[in-house]
Amino acid sequence: MDLQYDTEHNLLRDSAEKFLAERYGYKTFQEISSSEAGWSPEIWAEIAELGWLGLPFSEEDGGFGGGPVETSLIMEAMGKNLVIEPYLPTVVLAGGVVAALGSAEQKQGILAEVAAGESRLAFAYQDGDTPVTASRQGDDYVLSGTKKAVLGAPMADMLFVSAQEGPNTVVFGMPSKLKGITRRSYRMMDGPRAADIEFNDVTLPAGSRMGDKEDASAEIAFVLDAAIAAVSADAVGAIEAMVAQTVEYTSTRQQFGQPLSKFQVLAHRMVEMKVREEEARASALLATLSLDGAPERRVRAVSGAKAKIGRNARFVHQAAIQTHGAIGTTDELSLGGYAKRLVAYEINFGSTREHLRRYSALIADPEIAGSGLMLDPAAA
Amino acid sequence: MDLVLTPEDIAFRDEVRAFLKENVTDDMRRAGALTAGFLDDPEVAIDFHKVLYEKGWVAPHWPKEYGGTGWTPVQRNIFENECARAGAPSYNGMARQFVGPMLMRYGSQEQKDFFLPRILKGEDHWCQGYSEPGSGSDLASLKTKAESDGDDYIVNGQKIWTTHAHKSNRIFALVRTSSEGKKQAGITFLLMEMETPGITVRPIIGNGGDHEFNEVFFDNVRTPKSGRVGEENQGWEIAKYLLEFERGGAPSAGKVRSRFRKLAAAAKKYCPDDPDMASRIAELGIDIDAMEMLEIKDLSERQMGGNPGPVSSLLKLRWSQIRQETTELMLDVVGADALRWAPERPLYEALQLPREEEELLSLGPRYMNYRAYTILGGTSEIQTTILAKTMLGL
Ligand SMILES: Cc1cc2nc3c(=O)[nH]c(=O)nc-3n(C[C@H](O)[C@H](O)[C@H](O)COP(=O)(O)OP(=O)(O)OC[C@H]3O[C@@H](n4cnc5c(N)ncnc54)[C@H](O)[C@@H]3O)c2cc1C
Repeated sequence: MDLQYDTEHNLLRDSAEKFLAERYGYKTFQEISSSEAGWSPEIWAEIAELGWLGLPFSEEDGGFGGGPVETSLIMEAMGKNLVIEPYLPTVVLAGGVVAALGSAEQKQGILAEVAAGESRLAFAYQDGDTPVTASRQGDDYVLSGTKKAVLGAPMADMLFVSAQEGPNTVVFGMPSKLKGITRRSYRMMDGPRAADIEFNDVTLPAGSRMGDKEDASAEIAFVLDAAIAAVSADAVGAIEAMVAQTVEYTSTRQQFGQPLSKFQVLAHRMVEMKVREEEARASALLATLSLDGAPERRVRAVSGAKAKIGRNARFVHQAAIQTHGAIGTTDELSLGGYAKRLVAYEINFGSTREHLRRYSALIADPEIAGSGLMLDPAAA
Repeated sequence: MDLVLTPEDIAFRDEVRAFLKENVTDDMRRAGALTAGFLDDPEVAIDFHKVLYEKGWVAPHWPKEYGGTGWTPVQRNIFENECARAGAPSYNGMARQFVGPMLMRYGSQEQKDFFLPRILKGEDHWCQGYSEPGSGSDLASLKTKAESDGDDYIVNGQKIWTTHAHKSNRIFALVRTSSEGKKQAGITFLLMEMETPGITVRPIIGNGGDHEFNEVFFDNVRTPKSGRVGEENQGWEIAKYLLEFERGGAPSAGKVRSRFRKLAAAAKKYCPDDPDMASRIAELGIDIDAMEMLEIKDLSERQMGGNPGPVSSLLKLRWSQIRQETTELMLDVVGADALRWAPERPLYEALQLPREEEELLSLGPRYMNYRAYTILGGTSEIQTTILAKTMLGL
């Protein structure tokens, strides 16, 4: 067991925080989120330069060989600085799918372009009203159906789409501008862009199918869990920022002749906020470190973290606003940006109650409920 | 004891329903449903206000001598509930609910004769100038100064969070006329015209995306002393009296129920078989039941035009939490669809989508805006402090 961040981790965290604190932050967030495009090509080129876009991919695929811990450090810094660039959809979701399913050739081709900042991706996994199906026609596949709420789709150059092929779920990769694909883009509450997508007899060459596994459900489940671990780290960054701002604000704002922080109800509430930040950080790390473990372990840690951090995120953003008073309800402070980010965290990738149910199904087994977190090497 | 309406009450309710059916237009209803802030836009509400005025129903809670309706408390409640159910817009509640009753108690005959009919007719739109940058919860520390100059005051200073200042022609404000003795003892209640030279308004955008409140600056504003309510330095007593109406003056059950009803409808659509969600909604339902019971009991005992008293803090405390929870559960129920965001305001002008999709776009902003319910009109912490004194004698 080793729960210390090593020197390289610390360097990565420090450089990420330094870069984003200089180049991003609330004003930039406001500008980018209210722009037509909803992302910044300049920032994208800079983070490609920093190596973040290839971070989790293996070196033979054109990446830098990082893992979930490295991703979590970047995500936390992004949460803290309200970054809405399509990093999660490109690198963690679609990039994750390509890394998990793609053939060597597919991985090298697609991931190298991602790492170089030349291509943005999105992963369409949630069906809309008509589930997406794939059927063989000669050498080609034909895709039809709808996907909804596809994060990062409006700015994506390539789409990765899960589809039913008979009893199996498979994933196809394709350019986003293709005959038969219609994207209906929209802005989300916390700033990023998403799209509902319609696939109308989209013809794809056989090579568009990612890898040759008969069924990709397990890999897709893994990638979604990895995304939850990543957004959980992002939420921790946002929570940390809100707690720190609240403590700072109440230490300077005076009412009734003293700083607000001297009122015991407020001090106690801020302690509760801080405790919840610590819990959230611990849960997010548990999820991050459990991604590569056995599926039950992973699901327990990931769903547990999603539900736990979801609750804490709600408590913290509501308490932060309340404790600021009216100024907390405006757009003048970054508080609102974080609050919306945390609302979106709770809703995206399954609600708190869905994850509680997933967790609860696992701990129905008393053996699992009673087992601690430290692992026997045999089980790791 | 019972909760049963009499045949006369039923007849009254039917009359109100018929009236609302006739006069609340689809456009008004849609604008109301797409308003994510606290107040209806005056532009939308004024037409309905005029119809109400014609009918003599603008101010049901005012005594008859001032243009009220003479209705019983039950009738007033029926009216409020029916208006909420019908999605009827409300024009400048601040004027009817706070300014009117305050003037009836503290205004001079001249002020009553001048202002009350104007409120009834919808000729004035009022905003509230209490809070200042340095004086929120600690309101009595306010610094905006009024200096006597013959028949006028010269006002200098700044107000903040002034809701609808940009849509108002009049402001009721607290100003400092003395810095001697207790800070509460040097405050005067002053009515001013927003057009007066030296008054400027700067918008503040809420994090729900709406422009509702503002900063208001006073730079050597010359305003007549005839706008003073009560005596010089008597303003604190009047300010507190008005706050009772702000906190507990108008019944909330009708409005809250119409939101709760939308929540129940959304749950039926989005998560009909979810026992966890069902029990959380039920918990909110029993909170609303208890508060409605408390509210109708309280209202049935209150004199026409009378002040709510200390119970106003309790009502404010609980209703504000309930209102927030309704918007919160709505996000939980609707999930990803509620994350869609349209930045333009007002939504009822910006959007042209099927009605159901349009309403989805109001959920996120409403959740954000409603965080302010436990802050405006005196925060929950301040209501709790007041209740410690008034209910427990601490
Ligand atoms: C949407 C909205 C509309 C508004 N409209 C108007 C308007 O039209 N006109 C107007 O005059 N004002 C208006 N207000 C202002 C409102 O009255 C103030 O926001 C409120 O009184 C709180 O003051 P503050 O915001 O300065 O917070 P602060 O007083 O700075 O309080 C910050 C936090 O500290 C807490 N706190 C303060 N003192 C204590 C204490 N002694 N013990 C424990 N906790 C304490 C508060 O409860 C709060 O949580 C509006 C506010 C909002 C949010």
